[in-house]
Parts: sequence; C-alpha cells; structure tokens
Amino acid sequence: MNHAIISCLHANLPAAEAVLNDIDRQGIDTITCLGDLVGYGPQPNEVVELIRKRDIPTCQGCWDEDIIDGLNACECSYPSQLAERRGHLAHQWTDDQLTDENKSFLASLPTSLRRDRLLFVHGSPNSQHEYLLPDMDAFAALERVETAGADILFCGHTHQPYVRELRDGSIRVRLQNADHDCDQGEELTLPMRKIVNAGSVGEPRHGSTNATYVIHNDATDEVEIKEVPYDVGRTCQAIVEAGLPKVFAWRLSHGFEFAEQAEDASHVCER
Amino acid sequence: MRSHQGKCGYLRLDGYPFNGLEQVSDSGIDKAFLKDQFPELIDLSDSHHAPRSQQGDLLTLIELPQFQAPQHAGLTGMDPRVKNQLEALQLHPDRHLHFGRDPELPNKDTLEFKKLESFSLSLNASVWDPPSLNTLWFELVNGAYGDVYRAKALMNLPDGRSMFFNWIVSQESSQFLPLEEISAPNGRPASLSELVVQGKHLDGLRIQSTIDLCLLNDAVLEMHQMPLRDRQKEALPST
Repeated sequence: MNHAIISCLHANLPAAEAVLNDIDRQGIDTITCLGDLVGYGPQPNEVVELIRKRDIPTCQGCWDEDIIDGLNACECSYPSQLAERRGHLAHQWTDDQLTDENKSFLASLPTSLRRDRLLFVHGSPNSQHEYLLPDMDAFAALERVETAGADILFCGHTHQPYVRELRDGSIRVRLQNADHDCDQGEELTLPMRKIVNAGSVGEPRHGSTNATYVIHNDATDEVEIKEVPYDVGRTCQAIVEAGLPKVFAWRLSHGFEFAEQAEDASHVCER
Repeated sequence: MRSHQGKCGYLRLDGYPFNGLEQVSDSGIDKAFLKDQFPELIDLSDSHHAPRSQQGDLLTLIELPQFQAPQHAGLTGMDPRVKNQLEALQLHPDRHLHFGRDPELPNKDTLEFKKLESFSLSLNASVWDPPSLNTLWFELVNGAYGDVYRAKALMNLPDGRSMFFNWIVSQESSQFLPLEEISAPNGRPASLSELVVQGKHLDGLRIQSTIDLCLLNDAVLEMHQMPLRDRQKEALPST
C-alpha cells in the first residue's frame, strides 16, 4: 500500500494545499507529516488548521517545538548572524499570530511516530534540530537508524529530499574493562537500512520552487520523490501583506530557503 | 601598473552633469584599493603631488565617470572640459579608452548609466559577520533589493582583513580580493569601508536594514578577536 510523507510546510498554505491535492488525486489516504507546520511563512494558523482538519498524524518539528517552548534553539541552528536574526523575527511574528488552540495542538505533537519497522521523525531520532544530510558520515547515519530500532527512517528538516540506502552495515561494539586487560568485543552485521528525507512542502531547498514530498510503498519498499508546482506568487504576496520581510518572498520565489541550514551534520544539539 | 617600472599615479575626475543628472560623488573605494595594492601610488588629486612635466616615467590611471560613450574614438572624443582639467595638472593623455568601444577594456561592461539609480553607504568602523556578508552580497547582486548592475565595496572582517568586492552584471561572478594591509584584531578598524550600488528600483532602506542585521556589535566583535589576539601572543617568540 502506498502512503505519503510530507514535511516542513512552514506556514505556506498554497504549497500545502497543492501537495495534499496531488496526494488525493493518487487515491492515497495514509499521510504522515514530519512537522514544522509553522515558521517563516505567512499562514501559520491556516496550515495548522488544515492538518488538524485532515487529521494527519504529525510529529513535532523544531519550529513547532520552539513556538511552544520559547525560542531556545541553540546557535547550531543558524549559520550566520543574519539568518539568526531573521529566524528570531519570524519566530516572534509567528508567535504573535498563532491562536492558543493551534499552539496547544503543536504542543501535543509527539517527537516521533512509529509504524511497525518505519520510524517518522522531523530531524533525527536524537533531536528535532539535528540535520541528517545526504552526505552525512555513513556510520553516524547507520547509528541513528539502528539505535532507533527502525528499518526505514523518514525525516525532514534539511528541506532536501533524498533516499539513502545503507548496505552491508556492521557495528563493532567493544567493551574495555578497567580491571582486566582483556577487551570484549562483538560485531553486529546489519541488514540494509534506509533513510528517506521528504524534503519540504513550504520551503524547498532542492534548486526549484516546487514543493516536494515522498510516496513509500510498504510492500515493496519503493520510494518515489514527488515534486509539485504551486502558486508561489500567492504565497509571496501573502508574505508581503503579512508584513514579513520582503526578502522572504524573494528567496522563496527563487527557490532559496528562508534561512540557510547549519552545515555541520555531525553536530548534535545538546541543549 | 604591476609591470610598469617607474612611479604610478591615480587621478579620479568628478565628471559632469548630463541632462539634469548629477554624477555620484566618489566613494574612494578605487583609490583605497589601489593604494593598498601599490603603497607608493601617487594620489594626483592631492595638490602636493601635482605632477610635473619632468616626471616622464609616471604612469597615471585617470578615471572619469560618464553617462554615455563619447561620440568620437580616440583623443578627439574627449570632453574639452576634461582636457582643460588635465592640462591644468600638466597631464597629457596619450590614449582615451572607453568601456564597450575599445578592445583593451571588457566589451560587456557597457551600461546605460544615464538610466541608473545609485545607492551608497559609508560603513567606516563597521565589521561584518562573515557568513552574513556572504548572504547579503548574494542577495544584493541577485536582485533581492532591486536590479543591481554594478556594486562595489570595501568590507571589514573581524580578523582584521578588508575585502574588496566587485560585481558587474555582465560578469559571471563577483570579484573578491583581500587587501594587503591587515589591521590588528583589536577593536574597530580605521580603514575606509564603503558600499556603492548602481541599478534600477533599488530599495536602499531594505539594503540598509539587512546590513544592520549583519554587522557585529562590540561584544560579539570582541568574542571574535580575543582568541586571535591570544594566538598571536602564543606565536611570539619567548625572550
């Protein structure tokens, strides 16, 4: 059976509507959302209400978490002072706009969802703020999937859709006992694991303005990355009318993310 | 200039209004950059350094902003007012080159400057967060604040370096050149820092507000510079 995974909607209603319409047209009725319903975009309440209305199982993204807990993302989230200040501005605006009811909904979201051997998270099983980039060290990537007890890990957060297969993996565990000279070791040979990144509905970062999501067939494990064009101009107009920085509209209309991502994928936020 | 054996000079003329359009005042970026590259450069706008006819080995670069290409090629195409200015300085040009007309200069750099707006901003004593500077420049030259045809700047970095930024719409990429002179990482530098942008529909207020988000305050600047000073101390030979 095919099911769809969407992520990083970022308060972009036209993009969210276009993606859900595309999924509906294919007759897919199981959808999982990996969070970041809000942030940067101009329609946070509308997007949250759309997800609530459709009753789509959703895990909490880093933006959803920060809106509830207060802006406490560590500096690893921002690659520059400019990105950080724009992020803070967008956070404050979103905080002012969101209704209490929608905030309560975001607060109620789990950090992960599990369906048999499939695990759904926003960033990584460790943190909503950790990036699993496509070129991340293979051992670290395998460790994230294996310790979470999943065969396939679905994530978002990077805004770059990809499928990464981790084949012929093994993890060697060695215990060094301080009281004895001998080392005890064990090598675990692992079956293939897979990381699937759904990209972003509302803030693409793959070189095009199209929204992205993925379809997974749980019988064959085939994954298809889907691109959906939407009315970017409508979102840009809403950004300007909302009083958000015009540069957000310019960046979105050119296929650039609102704020650049942190580049160190190995960094684990420890806040 | 690099291959010339004798002395080198630089003179920037102001240019003249055209059809009611005024020339932009000189930002000093070119002079500051050339002075950094050629410390012995003679600034001919300084009356103390006015050339004398016997300085036969002096190679002088004279810049003159113009709104349009001269009607005639060669020296005959020179504005008589410019000729008079140069004669007063005892300068007798042997060649008169113009972008887009003479093969010695890049052909693609011809722009209709009479239709352009200009925005300039003094950034003296300002120090940039380097990744923010990258983003600002990327957005600027790619049209986030209006159509930019020409942008030029001298920018200060927290480690004491200054960078010359240069963008022409017809070129494939920006030119980023570090200046030779590096300030001590000890507070705000005294060197010239300036941004000049020419284009259409420029939104100066938004450029300014983005720049404000990119510049380091004193506390953050100190956070950048303190480890650099410590490393410099460690590198000093013990006596």
